Amino acid sequence: MPLKMTKLLPSFLIYSLVLISSYNHYNVNVVTAESTSSTSTTMHTNNWAVLVCTSRFWFNYRHMANTLSLYRTVKRLGIPDERIILMLADDMACNARNKYPGQVFNNENHRLNLYGDNVEVDYRGYEVTVENFMRVLTGRHENAVPRSKRLLSDEGSHILLYMTGHGGDEFLKFQDSEELQSHDLADAVKQMKEKRRFKELLIMVDTCQAATLFNQLQSPGVLAIGSSMKGENSYSHHLDSDVGVSVVDRFTYYTLAFFERLNMYDNASLISLFSSYNPNLLMSNAYYRTDLYKRKLDERGGVGRAGQDKD
Amino acid sequence: MKEEDEVKTKSSTMKEKKLTRFWEWAISAIIFRLILIFFFPDHLSQLASRPEVSTPVTSLRRLAEGYWLKKQASISPYAGSMYHGSPLLLSVLGPLTVTDVDGQSSHILCSLLFVIADFVAALLLRATGQKLQSAYFQSSNSLGLDKILGASEIYASGDISALFYLWNPLTILTCVGSSTSPIENFLVILSIYGACTRLVPLAAVGWVLATHLSLYPAVLGIPVILLLGYGPDSPPKKLFLQKNSVETADHSSDSRLHHVKQGTDSAISSFSWKPIVLFILWASAWSIYILALCGISVRQNGGLQEMFKRTYGFILTVEDLSPNIGVLWYFFAEVFDFFRNFFLLVIHFNILFMILPLAIRMKHRPCFLAFVYVAICSMLKTYPSVADSALCLGLFGLFINQLLDMHFSFVLFCGYVGVNLLSPVMHNLWIWRGTGNANFYYATAIAYAALQIILVVDSASAMLNHDRWLRKLTTTITKT
Amino acid sequence: MAESKSIISFLTVCCFILPTLLFAAIEEEPHKEEFNEELLLKPLPDRKVLAHFHFDSKAFSSSSNGGYHLHLFPKAIYQLVHKFHIKEMELSFTQGRWNYERWGGFDPVSSSNAKPPGVELWAVFDAPPSQVDALWKNLTHTLSGLFCASINFLESSTTYSAPDWGFRASSGNLRYGSLPREAVCTENLTPWLKLLPCRDKAGLAELMDRPSIYRGFYHSQRLHLVSSGFGSDRVDSKIELEQTLTVVLQPTTLRWAKSYTPGSGMQPNWSISTVFGRKINKKCVLAKSSNLYLQLDRGLVSELKNKGTDSDSATAESSITNPLFELSSTPQKVIREVDNLKDEESSILYMFDIDKFADAKPFDLAFSWKLPVVWTCSKAPLLANRFLMGSGNERGAIVISLKSVGHRPSLVGTGASEDRCKLHINVFQVVPWYVKVYYHTLRIYIDGQVQSAANVTRKMRVSPSEDKVSSGVLELALTLPCSMKSAALSLDFDKGFLHIDEYPPDANQGFDIPSALISFPDFHSSLNFAEDSSVSPILSRLQKRSPALAYTEVLLVPLTTPDFSMPYNVITITCTVFALYFGSLLNVLRRRADEEERLLEERGKYIITCLLSGITNM
Repeated sequence: MPLKMTKLLPSFLIYSLVLISSYNHYNVNVVTAESTSSTSTTMHTNNWAVLVCTSRFWFNYRHMANTLSLYRTVKRLGIPDERIILMLADDMACNARNKYPGQVFNNENHRLNLYGDNVEVDYRGYEVTVENFMRVLTGRHENAVPRSKRLLSDEGSHILLYMTGHGGDEFLKFQDSEELQSHDLADAVKQMKEKRRFKELLIMVDTCQAATLFNQLQSPGVLAIGSSMKGENSYSHHLDSDVGVSVVDRFTYYTLAFFERLNMYDNASLISLFSSYNPNLLMSNAYYRTDLYKRKLDERGGVGRAGQDKD
Repeated sequence: MKEEDEVKTKSSTMKEKKLTRFWEWAISAIIFRLILIFFFPDHLSQLASRPEVSTPVTSLRRLAEGYWLKKQASISPYAGSMYHGSPLLLSVLGPLTVTDVDGQSSHILCSLLFVIADFVAALLLRATGQKLQSAYFQSSNSLGLDKILGASEIYASGDISALFYLWNPLTILTCVGSSTSPIENFLVILSIYGACTRLVPLAAVGWVLATHLSLYPAVLGIPVILLLGYGPDSPPKKLFLQKNSVETADHSSDSRLHHVKQGTDSAISSFSWKPIVLFILWASAWSIYILALCGISVRQNGGLQEMFKRTYGFILTVEDLSPNIGVLWYFFAEVFDFFRNFFLLVIHFNILFMILPLAIRMKHRPCFLAFVYVAICSMLKTYPSVADSALCLGLFGLFINQLLDMHFSFVLFCGYVGVNLLSPVMHNLWIWRGTGNANFYYATAIAYAALQIILVVDSASAMLNHDRWLRKLTTTITKT
Repeated sequence: MAESKSIISFLTVCCFILPTLLFAAIEEEPHKEEFNEELLLKPLPDRKVLAHFHFDSKAFSSSSNGGYHLHLFPKAIYQLVHKFHIKEMELSFTQGRWNYERWGGFDPVSSSNAKPPGVELWAVFDAPPSQVDALWKNLTHTLSGLFCASINFLESSTTYSAPDWGFRASSGNLRYGSLPREAVCTENLTPWLKLLPCRDKAGLAELMDRPSIYRGFYHSQRLHLVSSGFGSDRVDSKIELEQTLTVVLQPTTLRWAKSYTPGSGMQPNWSISTVFGRKINKKCVLAKSSNLYLQLDRGLVSELKNKGTDSDSATAESSITNPLFELSSTPQKVIREVDNLKDEESSILYMFDIDKFADAKPFDLAFSWKLPVVWTCSKAPLLANRFLMGSGNERGAIVISLKSVGHRPSLVGTGASEDRCKLHINVFQVVPWYVKVYYHTLRIYIDGQVQSAANVTRKMRVSPSEDKVSSGVLELALTLPCSMKSAALSLDFDKGFLHIDEYPPDANQGFDIPSALISFPDFHSSLNFAEDSSVSPILSRLQKRSPALAYTEVLLVPLTTPDFSMPYNVITITCTVFALYFGSLLNVLRRRADEEERLLEERGKYIITCLLSGITNM
């Protein structure tokens, strides 16, 4: 009997491979972009994260908490401080209105102090401007800018870009005084691609009408996730009556809930992340744009895209 | 000659009617100013800081600061972006600002100087008006219009303009409001007076000093030259030529007509070059002298180049964005940096462009041309104040006879009153109470600019209409 | 055989051991890297506790050694000194205002650690004057990356200044900049702690519980760098890095405890664990010495005496119990101040060596009061305050008021008699360019009377501000009579108007005028001790004669804002007005009445026919 099994094994393997590939073919999205040699042949070298909170003032506490939650998650999952660029537009932890100095919470149970003991913020306060954001992405800094404030990625880098704040139709507000528009973002990403600054880029945006920010993106290797579609708002999750403001947004809350179940060695797929979003709980339709992204979104196959709208 | 005497007696009788009253009014204006200076110093100090009255270029407080920097701290008066005027003015007015022992600055002595400047300017205006009046009579005589014009009332434009200048609330504000504009106004009027009466040194010194103090009187060089060349305002040369041609065609041998023809020949004085050359010589001599004096006083502090950068450079590049009665402060606060130089060029070009068409069209009326230039500068200046419109309205009085038919005189009067009352209110709402915003004050500035545009355009068109009316009269006379 | 074998093995072992011993002996240089950490605790009169952490790190280089060998000293700082030719530098991050009235102004801790709010940076460079500005710019960028703060805003010439003598006595090549609105939080402390050899994992830095520190009434982290002999590589040179963290904390855990009123009862008992929430678990093995000092003020010691405690028993070794207070651990040493002038008591320092304590169990020091005590800290001769006068957004006045403290500390080197006694102070103030100060309106009032500036001013240096280029610097040396009760300096200013790009995003909050510095060059606060203080950095710092300093408040100046939403509207409306003028004036000039029009038309037709005929003929 075992001998028979061993004889059957290769054919079984071939059959399963064919099945898997057919499933993948069934589930894969239409590839629209040209495959360049760089994306398929360069090795994945390192991971970077650029986390941006664009709102100032105390009532936007939740945007800071969003960004810091992701900062903590990203650090926990293995990216060191040297490869994280954290941009916080205001200081909440040591704000005079903060009842808990040095602490930022994203849940009213106050179990987790997001600020912790070892936080390194690269761009602070008035430095978080559209100009500095573009400079970080494109790498065009003045000579004096130190290394810790530069995105020193190379062509094998996987970059996570997370932005949160107030936004609208094709724009994102920076500090209540200027805007980042969708074509600005698309230009920056295009420059990054031409300069070979990333292999894959995952953009996550948690603002109102976040999906519209991706309308002009065209560079290959980019995966974009937005918290709401055009015409929809993204809502906060709950109000912490002790701190006095809302402490986290719904989209980030459920994203974090997904990541808290992971550790450094897990290999979960992006499709499982998408499927974890429930439009009823989010009070908006999470949107993701995968047409520029060539890698398979799932390894297992069979999980359809039912329920997720595209464009 | 007999007719000229008749005309003179007529005008002298009219002049005599207002002579005694003129001096009464003038002295009472001076006394009013003195009362304001001595008995209401607190209100005056509040007035001094109003942006409509003192601008960064003319503020006396800044002059006091520049003088202090020079004397007490031994550094350049231009070191601090405070003082932007001439070093000569600093030496003249600086010591007057420091009166108290502990260096407290009070502006009483300066105000007295400004009252004197105002008074002399009014007298010069009166003399200019009289000169223009007599030239007017002469020219109307030679055209044969004296009978028609003699019937209607001719106002003594000199007296009227002098009194208007003295009693204009804007002039009073400027005089007691601690800005150095009364001196600039006086110098401009001096140069116009010198040019009208063909006193070349006076015209030259007035023009050079006025340009030195604030850059814009430089454009008055053209009317001054025209005044020296052609003489005071007269109807267009065409009318004289027309009349002459008609008369020569008559072939009349009447001695009287010959007499008149000689008069007209003398009236069409050709463009005389001699006073102009003299003017250029005097002007260059004065400017070299002024520059030498300035060079000596700023020698330790960066030299003449620094002086030019801080005075004329400051005026031309609109560095200071404090509100004033013009529109450029808000404009340059909001314009994108990329376009700043472009708009600076456009704004200065606006003034320069109009010089040539106006000069061509009104070369027979150089004094009126000077008035139009002054009005345009006061509107398009980078740091205007009510002093500029005070000067402009004062000169406006000189042409009261010709400009009686202005279309919008009532609108202008109401507008001026309204804007001058509303502008401080809007300023207060914006700056002191915080209930308004900059747009309120800017709206009054736009209204003010619109009023000045109406003034310029309407007076120019009224003067041109007057010329047309004169031509119509002469053609009817010659036809009859 | 076995014997010879053993001899041979012994010899080989010696051959191996001896060279290493020799090597070790040679390696034993007279100067090596040194790291010391110390903590000074001091109860304050208003129920608070002052905790002053002091970390001192030295690196030496000698020509024989071949440069610097850095094991303990942070490499980042060494590179900073080397790259920017720094002779001396100080960077401080502060939140809160030092209360000079209650916490004292005339002791070494307050004169060197009471800093203005926000970020303050000054540096003296060892380079030709033409390069100093460029070095400063690059230094600010590097520090901003190193300490996670927006120190790079100090690069523009509108934010820094070059004081002459008003800030520090000596100095050419000094640049000074301050950012009053900079937030100070954990992200500034993290890299600061990373410069320490043990980080915050062992030793005194373990105590730095972030929420406890940032809950304090005042916290200031400071980095002071002195490098000497750094010019050429062949000369012995030394870099000394001093990092201090000064925190004023309230011992009670309840935030809404009763506010302080004098004589309101017992001071609260406190311990390290109630103040910081942590204890010292491990000692830092890389530290040469690790000490904790508890300081009792002069005022407190005199109260001790008054309450009947014999001064001699207060200095006895077993002084953990005495009628006033009780300590939970016995100090290794009791250090008394010496050479003090007769009219005041001397302060006492209790020294605890962490090495001896932390091995057994976590170290916690508890201080309990037994009797209510009220005392005052020694204050500087004058209390300095600063405020704005005037309303509205057009102009105002800055006033610096100086109030005399009743009890004057002993004067050093001034005249003996009262009427010839003069108080010398230096005033240093930097004002941003949009606050346009009229220096000729400087008025000095003594006891309400205006004084002539010439009588009171010894020296004055004014560097007026240039619009958008540099800020205004005022350095003033005044001589005031000792018997005065109050003095005031007032300066008028006009508020400037900025371009819309120059406003920060929260423009309606206003703009800050950084703190002014009042220094008393004649008053040097120092404590002298009989012990050899070369070992302990805190003791040597306490013994150093530093002039008493007082920083005033930061002033918030609201400026008017233009309408930020209207740039296009303004441009179009203004250009419309210009076009109106242009067009209508040209129209008026061009317009001709009927006859003239006909004449011109005919003339025009004539010219055109001539031209056409000319063209057709050709």
